[in-house]
Amino acid sequence: MTSLALPVGNFRTGEARTCDTTGLPVCLHAQRFIKLNAVCAVVALLVGAIGAILLGLTRWPAVHLLPADWYYRVLTLHGINMLIFWIIFLEIAILYFAGTTLLKTRLASTKLAWTSFLLMAVGAVLTNITILQGTADVMMTSYAPLQAHSNFYLGMILFAVGALLGVGNFFACVWIARRDKTYQGSMPLVAFGALAAAIIAVVAILHGAIALVPTWLWSLGLMDAPDAGWYRLLWWGIGHQSQQINVCAMVSTWYLLATLTVGAKPLNQLVCRSAFVLYVLFINIASAHHLLVDPGVSAGWKIWNTSYAMYLAVLASMIHGFTVPAAVEVAQRKKGHDRGLFGWLVKAPWANPGFSAFFLSLIIFGFIGGITGVTLGTQQINIIAHNTLRIPGHFHATVVGGTSLAFMGLCYYVVPLIFRREYAARALCRLQPYLFGIGIVLVSIGMSFAGSYGVPRRHWDVEFSGAPFAKGFDSGAHVMLGLMGIGAVLAFVGLLTFILLTVHAVFLGKRNEGRAMTAW
Amino acid sequence: MSDPKLVDRLERERDTEPGDHKMPGTVVLTALLLLCFVVYYFANWKALADVWHVR
Repeated sequence: MTSLALPVGNFRTGEARTCDTTGLPVCLHAQRFIKLNAVCAVVALLVGAIGAILLGLTRWPAVHLLPADWYYRVLTLHGINMLIFWIIFLEIAILYFAGTTLLKTRLASTKLAWTSFLLMAVGAVLTNITILQGTADVMMTSYAPLQAHSNFYLGMILFAVGALLGVGNFFACVWIARRDKTYQGSMPLVAFGALAAAIIAVVAILHGAIALVPTWLWSLGLMDAPDAGWYRLLWWGIGHQSQQINVCAMVSTWYLLATLTVGAKPLNQLVCRSAFVLYVLFINIASAHHLLVDPGVSAGWKIWNTSYAMYLAVLASMIHGFTVPAAVEVAQRKKGHDRGLFGWLVKAPWANPGFSAFFLSLIIFGFIGGITGVTLGTQQINIIAHNTLRIPGHFHATVVGGTSLAFMGLCYYVVPLIFRREYAARALCRLQPYLFGIGIVLVSIGMSFAGSYGVPRRHWDVEFSGAPFAKGFDSGAHVMLGLMGIGAVLAFVGLLTFILLTVHAVFLGKRNEGRAMTAW
Repeated sequence: MSDPKLVDRLERERDTEPGDHKMPGTVVLTALLLLCFVVYYFANWKALADVWHVR
């Protein structure tokens, strides 16, 4: 279709370019902020990755690398950078892409985008410095009355306000596109998914503000400590929902990569969009599963929220988990890859890192993250798993094996299309998703089975060295912790490979301006 | 120059795949996921029953 080669939209002269590969219009203002947010995301990923390998080698009893104080410091650093900064910086980049390129509209406000970016960057730097100074060893949850230095909360608040402004800019783009009729019919499904993520982000950030502003004032000595139960309830309003922004953005990325890599197209727009609406309506309620052993809330509240409402959010993931591979299968069969049950899958472009990262993400998210998540979120079962390594075993499959891997796959297209630079060492690019994917599967399985032996999460020394009574875990748990350690090394190598390849491509990669990107 | 195939793909994403769809592989994958879930879920209830006796 050549019609898309002519930019359709509401751009002023010199405000947009036509993508040499896709033919879509790219707003140059938005492009700058896509780049800035993506670079910050990768920096946060690097910080988090260094934390990850240090933690993996500490939780592996045979190595036990860090001393206790640095273990909790690095755990805080790792959690905040991986679950908040890496993901949300990249999500804001995705919102600018979806809100301008896919909707063929200009960026609503450059000033707002600068304010958003600077607040997020300053907030992230302030939080990280405070953590590394050793004055915020409170881990990601920072449960009151555990108190960090006021700059820790201030950094988080600045970051959240910046992200909220970025989301506001996206909403303004959607409104302008609608007003100027820059697209025909309904907005594209990927943009719709981004819109769902943005709505969840608003609710999440408001919860964060309500939880963290009083806590910040408390850390400054301006008010009494917030009620611990109240804090936990509200904190998970941001703690869990921020991960659901990830899920929405990840699913949108799946649809986008399925289209880009095999030409898949949604089988039923209504079903796919309804699933995104289910996320918006029920994911907040599902955050109750973090409080399943909390004495401050009733059993009825826990059971209603996690054993009934939560399943409606799970249903949404199951719908996407079916429609995405189904769309790939239909597209592949149309191309003639229709031999047997799985001929379409065997003949899929596994050498394209965009496809391999996307499909591995789908499998890891569904088979490991999804199954363990629904099981652990059951109120009665949770009692044998709560605060064990089974919990990080679950969310390393969803957030890391799912979201991070999908986002890596997206970067293999973002860098050539937005930065207009080609990746070098393409054989290594093709290998990278497998290295990382296999590594994180080992981490997740090792953690999950070690947790089944009762090994606690967030614990520096499961051997309890120096305790008056000998206490430890049997050899089976140690095998699983070793498996986790080996997986951590493998995943770290895969992640570092991704960062090096991407940084090289962004700064030194061969330019592709004036021509289509080199196909994977 | 735009790659017409990629432009076409992005344009097609807005539409719905028409007609009947043949996707037996996805159905089998989904059934496999449900089977894994049933086994894992049952094993966890069994583990709970082993440590939490109802008298």
